[in-house]
Amino acid sequence: MIGKLIGKRKLKINTWRKLEGALFLSPWIFGFFAFMVFPIGFSLYMSFNQVRIVPDGLDIQYRGVTYYKQILFENGSILYNNLIPFLQEALIMIPIIVIFALLVAIMLNYNFSGRWLFRTIFFLPVIFSTGAIIQEFYDQGEGTLGFLEQYNLADYVSMVLPSSWSGPIIRIMNSFVLILWYSGVQILLFLAGRQTISATVYEAARIDGASPWESFWKITLPGMIPFIFLNLIYTVVDLFTFPRNPIMQKVTTSDYGKSSALVWIYFVIILLFLGLVMLVFRRVNKTYQQTR
Amino acid sequence: MAAIAENTSKAGARRRLIKLDKTQMMLMLFLTLVGIFMILPLFYIFNHALKPYSELFLYPPRIFVQQPTLTNFSEFFSLLKDSTIPASRYLFNSIVVAGLGTVSVVIVSALAAYPLSKHPFPGSKLLFSAIVISLMFVPEALQIPRYIVVAQLGIMDTYVGHILPHVAAPVSVFLVKQFMDQVPNDLIEAAKIDGAREFTVFMRIVIPVVMPSIATSSILTFQDIWNDTSTSTLFMQNDAMKTFPYYLSTLTNNLANSVARQGAVAAASLILFLPTLIIFLTFQRKVIATMAHSGIK
Repeated sequence: MIGKLIGKRKLKINTWRKLEGALFLSPWIFGFFAFMVFPIGFSLYMSFNQVRIVPDGLDIQYRGVTYYKQILFENGSILYNNLIPFLQEALIMIPIIVIFALLVAIMLNYNFSGRWLFRTIFFLPVIFSTGAIIQEFYDQGEGTLGFLEQYNLADYVSMVLPSSWSGPIIRIMNSFVLILWYSGVQILLFLAGRQTISATVYEAARIDGASPWESFWKITLPGMIPFIFLNLIYTVVDLFTFPRNPIMQKVTTSDYGKSSALVWIYFVIILLFLGLVMLVFRRVNKTYQQTR
Repeated sequence: MAAIAENTSKAGARRRLIKLDKTQMMLMLFLTLVGIFMILPLFYIFNHALKPYSELFLYPPRIFVQQPTLTNFSEFFSLLKDSTIPASRYLFNSIVVAGLGTVSVVIVSALAAYPLSKHPFPGSKLLFSAIVISLMFVPEALQIPRYIVVAQLGIMDTYVGHILPHVAAPVSVFLVKQFMDQVPNDLIEAAKIDGAREFTVFMRIVIPVVMPSIATSSILTFQDIWNDTSTSTLFMQNDAMKTFPYYLSTLTNNLANSVARQGAVAAASLILFLPTLIIFLTFQRKVIATMAHSGIK
């Protein structure tokens, strides 16, 4: 009898809890469905149709998979010519950005005079990265490193590596400063994440005689793994949806159906790429956990 | 990193102190070198706005201005006077939209992230994957369907029409949720045992702990909404409802040659940039500061 009563009450509490959860979520869910889920679905529909804007609304004519066929098999200039170098570039840039951001964040976490000033400076790219400023810099050829040209590194790289890879690598070396600017948000996230590891753990480790080097590998790095993961995803998203990226520039507004088809193909590629990044991350993480 | 490791070897306490200073020096040196690159764009914006026409089109471009002048600003302000709708109206719109927008995005995202992180319900994993996946979708492709939604909701030419499309942004939910995952469940349980209601737990425990991520997403959201011209282009037919960045983009768009008004544009981009800088400077300290008071040990 009593057990039943308690059970009933528990049930009630559980439903109430779920309701409360739903209440927390509801405003966002509405926006998400209205402005993300429906539009994404609609763009899939558009990709199979020719869409034109006419004075009294949309003129939609069914085209089937023509656009997909065109992009994937017939006309390489739409997707492939830009995609492959871009993917190579991304594959090199992502680890550089994440590792650089991690190291800088850990450095910025040390206590030294003028720390707040450095933090402000290193976060600054956060507010440049989306703006037109970086674009302008890029166009004008700023952000390249003069000393690279001095030492003829480019020639050396193209001698050592096959030409299909030396191109992207040279481009990345040339836009090294740009990589620094890409990592603003990542530094911010790492530093914020670093705060979740409490100082007492380090104190305890120090009393036990651990060196800072050891405590970096045994405390800091394991504690940062969720944030490394977060930053990996963030970097992939940032690179792939950056307005400057060559495929994004192909998404024009003149031909909505074709653009939608291109966006969907690109979307699948991004997902595959992200899946690959996650897989590699899991592997590395697993071996790391075992050696610890 | 090597320097830090080095300082720990078998050194005595006093030696360690001196060596630490060396580490600090190395650290400062490295950070200064990289920091110079980090701060360059900032110098560039300020200097660019002060360049006379003869310097604006120099090739190769220079970062620092040779003969600073304020003519760009006077050109910009005289342009503002010619506008049929006073520029202050556009500015007011922008401030309302970006201010209200940022506040509502942050509140809605934090509210949504909490059950996703701490109260898993059937389908919550699926919903979260949907968020991550939707992050990858190219936003430019969503313009037409979003137009349909906005038209159907009847919020064309309203402030809601500016703000609502941003509220759905998955980025902040994603960020805040990832940080909430780090909040120990014991802390929440302890508060509940003490009789705290769900909302109290959320406001008094979870939010203070994830404040760094909230500050981060505030900065990101503000600059996103502030610089956005797409809601003005797509959803606002009434000119009086458009925003300041949109207005600035119209200044040069309709001109045949691209040289005219470039000075005004340089001045305008500095003016447009300043609010983002101010928001950034106010919030970035919060990114670090709040964890210390959160009570997590």
